[in-house]
Amino acid sequence: MIYLDYSATTPVDERVLDSYCKVTRDYIGNANSIHTLGVKSKELLIQATNQIAEIFNCHPKELIFTSGASESNTTAIKGVAFKYANRGKHIITSKLEHKSVLEVMGYLSNIGYDVDFVNILPNGQIDLKHLEELIRNDTILISICAVNSETGFKQPLKTIRQVINKKNPNVIFHSDLTQALGKTRFYLSDLDLASFSSHKIYAPKGIGILYKKRDLQIDTLIYGTTENCPFRGGTPALPLIVAFSKAIRLMNDKLDSNIKKCEKLKAELLKGLSKYPIQINSTSQSVPQIVNFSLLKIKSETFVHALERHEIYVSTTTACSSLEESTVLNALSHGNKDVSTTSIRVSLSHLTTSSEIQKFLEVFDRVWNELLLK
Amino acid sequence: MKKVILIKYGELTTKKDNRKFFIKQLKKNIFDKLSSFSFDIIDDYYRMFIIPNEDELEEIVLKLKEIFGIHGIVIAYETQDNDVENIKNVCLNLMKEKNEKTFKVITHRSDKSYPIDSMKMNNIIGAHILKNTNFKVDVHNPEVELNVEIRREGVYIYNETISGLGGYPVSTLGRALLMLSGGIDSPVAGYLTIKRGVELYYLYFESRPHTSIEARNKVIELARKLEKYNTHGKLIVINFTKIQETIYKELDQTYLITFMRRKMYQIAERIAKKYKCLAIVNGESVGQVASQTLSSILAVNDVTNYPILRPLCSFDKLDIINISKQIDTYDISILPYEDCCTVFVPRHPVINPNLKHIYEEEKKYDFTSLVDEAVNNAEIVDLKEKISDLL
Repeated sequence: MIYLDYSATTPVDERVLDSYCKVTRDYIGNANSIHTLGVKSKELLIQATNQIAEIFNCHPKELIFTSGASESNTTAIKGVAFKYANRGKHIITSKLEHKSVLEVMGYLSNIGYDVDFVNILPNGQIDLKHLEELIRNDTILISICAVNSETGFKQPLKTIRQVINKKNPNVIFHSDLTQALGKTRFYLSDLDLASFSSHKIYAPKGIGILYKKRDLQIDTLIYGTTENCPFRGGTPALPLIVAFSKAIRLMNDKLDSNIKKCEKLKAELLKGLSKYPIQINSTSQSVPQIVNFSLLKIKSETFVHALERHEIYVSTTTACSSLEESTVLNALSHGNKDVSTTSIRVSLSHLTTSSEIQKFLEVFDRVWNELLLK
Repeated sequence: MKKVILIKYGELTTKKDNRKFFIKQLKKNIFDKLSSFSFDIIDDYYRMFIIPNEDELEEIVLKLKEIFGIHGIVIAYETQDNDVENIKNVCLNLMKEKNEKTFKVITHRSDKSYPIDSMKMNNIIGAHILKNTNFKVDVHNPEVELNVEIRREGVYIYNETISGLGGYPVSTLGRALLMLSGGIDSPVAGYLTIKRGVELYYLYFESRPHTSIEARNKVIELARKLEKYNTHGKLIVINFTKIQETIYKELDQTYLITFMRRKMYQIAERIAKKYKCLAIVNGESVGQVASQTLSSILAVNDVTNYPILRPLCSFDKLDIINISKQIDTYDISILPYEDCCTVFVPRHPVINPNLKHIYEEEKKYDFTSLVDEAVNNAEIVDLKEKISDLL
């Protein structure tokens, strides 16, 4: 089997799974309980949170555990929209966002908010000039992901912040960092809100983080808060939190070398693909772990299933909207269906090997010729 | 060109004969704090240079900002080539990174064999910058000070100083015992004492089961926050339950807090002597609560003639809160656990305790053996955090 869909989700690291099991078995107390068992759980919860805060270079109180990035995104966007409705109802986002962002935006525009989409430049970056034009006095929120999940396009968060500060410093800046975590470096100091997910970095599914700058007030989404969860209600999911924290540490220890390794693999892959009349959608602005291309003549779904017969797993657009047309590529190609309905995403990891890439290229060649003849 | 960190000493400049001792301690503290980094230190009477690995420079600067006795931290460019043309160019490049405002050049020539004197160097470098940028000279109130230090080891050039914490290097002025409750004030009092070069040990009174393990953990967390500056402290925990219960049962309850605090001071004095602490420190601020009126302080202080430092005695609560936020103890302090001063509190504690009445009451019960027991059973808690291997 050759798994090349690491941006959809990742296999859980054995060391992380080990911690998960141990915590599940040995830490039975609720971190909110005041007896010794509860306190023992709470101590571990604090250490796990502190470890993440240290790596993210933020305050532990700024980290809110959620069920995943979709909840983080929803909480951030609804939370700002509802809290600051009296200040304005204008929100700016992009077509590069995850479904959980786009759908909340849709909901908000249905109930009277004014949502604008910033243009995307051919290199995959958002048009900063257009963004500056869009920002108004009643703009309350800008939500732009750091890395697009389909194409790997990376956004200059620091510059976006500067544009915001120049035009209207009251605007709250949220970024979905789900695909950035483990793929590139980022600085939370540029942001007011950020979303993370565990399962993109070899941790179990079911946990995410919402980073919320300390002084920022937003409405809560899930009620029932306690001392340990002062913003989001619920019992802290200690095994998942510990596993996530450990995965973040393991990821951080190897980040630079992993990025280098993926750059090398990406170069090999692109070299192998260069002889086909296909369109490479990822650009120099993309993270090395994501390579996106449009086959132009073959539907993506057909191709994914054909590869699957050889036990090679890639995806069409993103796992969350696999059967739909790519909104990102649709926007980029100005509605050219040949581009937006034939795209394939290959996503790499430090676990990927050179021989896997070679094998993929061999199978690609076979499938390509078979399907073209039909 | 290499980047080095230059340390400007704080109030040490007021010291004369002891100066070397202070510098030596500061150097030791820096080595302690930066034990996980590799670097070299060169020091003399006026300055200290830290030569770091360039990629660790920023982290080292962050750590240096937590060390008392450092007045300013400067990231300087070091060049071995002391040719005037080279110095001029380095200066110009450095100034080009700044917004063009007013400036002045300050040359120090500790290498007196250097052929050009300081005044002349100022003129040469100043002229070069004036010619090539839009900077203007202002020798009285310059917005940017360009410093050029010509030394035997090389030339050091810098134009920005990051402020350090000031104060004296920790442990140059001996050790004291901080009475650490879970409140907002005592950690701040501790911080201000460490700032004056005093090393701290921490003393905590607990009343299990009336107080919880979480209350103790809270105090451990607070002590750890102070350890960032203090480094080698110990936390001593006194089991105060029996004494507190006995006072409650046997003596006048409106004086409960006064009696409790008298016992605490007695115990603190004995612990202080045992651990070679030269003073007791606490977070009392005059008038803040019933036990901190002048007559209460008098009634409590009556049990000891050991020096008691009250760094916050004249601080407003809001000022104390501001410092506690700066040193990141505020959020811990406001966690709502009972501490031994909040259990068994009389509804109307006495504001002006009467010493005569205190002596009368204390005759009713002999606390000697209970105090001995509390001192002898003092527990030392490890402040080094053991990170779970699950992480």
